[in-house]
Amino acid sequence: METVQLKQQVKEQIVKFLNLTTVQPHDIKDEEPLFGEGLGLDSIDSIELIVMLSREYGIEIQDPKEGRKILVNVNTMVDYIEKNRTK
Amino acid sequence: MLYIHKSACFSAQQTYSETDLSVITESKDNRLKVKEPVYTDIPPGTLRRMGKAVRMSVGSALPLLKEFPQPDGIIIGTANGGMEDCIKFLNQIIEYREGLLTPGNFVQSTSNAPAAQIAMITKNKKYNNTHTHRGLAFENALLDAFMLLKENPDRTYLLGSVDEISDYNFNIDRLDGCFRDEIVSNKQLFDHPAAGTIAGEGSLMMIVSGQPSGAFAAVDALQTIHTTDERLVLKTLFEFLHKNGFPAVAPDLLITGENGDARLEKYYRNAESLVPRGTAIARFKHLSGEYSTASSFGFWLATEILRTGKIPEIVLKKSGKTDIRKILIYNNYRGLQHAFVLLSAR
Repeated sequence: METVQLKQQVKEQIVKFLNLTTVQPHDIKDEEPLFGEGLGLDSIDSIELIVMLSREYGIEIQDPKEGRKILVNVNTMVDYIEKNRTK
Repeated sequence: MLYIHKSACFSAQQTYSETDLSVITESKDNRLKVKEPVYTDIPPGTLRRMGKAVRMSVGSALPLLKEFPQPDGIIIGTANGGMEDCIKFLNQIIEYREGLLTPGNFVQSTSNAPAAQIAMITKNKKYNNTHTHRGLAFENALLDAFMLLKENPDRTYLLGSVDEISDYNFNIDRLDGCFRDEIVSNKQLFDHPAAGTIAGEGSLMMIVSGQPSGAFAAVDALQTIHTTDERLVLKTLFEFLHKNGFPAVAPDLLITGENGDARLEKYYRNAESLVPRGTAIARFKHLSGEYSTASSFGFWLATEILRTGKIPEIVLKKSGKTDIRKILIYNNYRGLQHAFVLLSAR
């Protein structure tokens, strides 16, 4: 899958998994921070995203510090998925 | 004595904000689903995680808590809590082979999630209790508040109930014979009694205290009983009425939980036979549908009648007294859990 397509897919999954009823996938910018300012996600959302990476891409994140580096924005997520996905 | 100062009711009908029971919403596929308002008081980040039961209870509680902030406790009756989220969570366990599960559905699925969410949003760290006694969940919450206020009449509590229709539970209950197989409109629910009824859901929140000042209704007494013995139900209701001044003090209105299920009619006929001829008789489950805490809709209806002094035409089964000062509610859940509540006007 092309990176552009993967980014779109990840944005759609973020909206679906986190039930972001007021956000459309195309509203999420590639470089926009997911937590704090930007999309404004919180710690429960980070667990939801880790579960999403496990279910959709077969990626197991055991170390929370590692998670913080991956879940910065859509670009960092997609970069990690491309390098580590098992499905 | 428990006094009711303010209430908010979410139901399938127009019962929130401006109450209007002159036009009734029709059931669809034997279900009466709640008309949810736009939840402007719930932070969007919190709202997106809420299941329907939590959303309804928080949404109906917050406007009351603006006027009565920081009550001395939050007491809620719910048989199932966030059932839809519970089913999602259980399905995830199967789907992902007991692997990594998302926390959202689990957090929202517990029965005490509604009371907990209200407490967290309003930062209320006082008494917080959830009663889950199926068809008597609301009455047990009411009894809890009643006993607490008997000890400390100066206190104020947020008292309420909530239950939602989940697809899974609806189907299980339908297979169990609780709901009718053939489609029936709530508008014709009482025309042809048969086995089963229609499903409903709703939320009621009230501010209650032991002080009469500013209250529009009061609960004089309540009693519950578990039995399928109709003679024992009749005897218990007879004794309950006599303990509370009958026949010198008789209810002006009887509200029953009649729901079109032919198997339960005998209980309601018996209750109707106990009250004097002049007592008006009303019923409400064609407006609310049947659910474990549907009696709370009947309770809300009673308080509205006491507040406004008017009985909506749509609920009236038999005309009688028009100056309604005292109301008896009799509800039963699946012929097993029976509740009697006496209310009076202030």
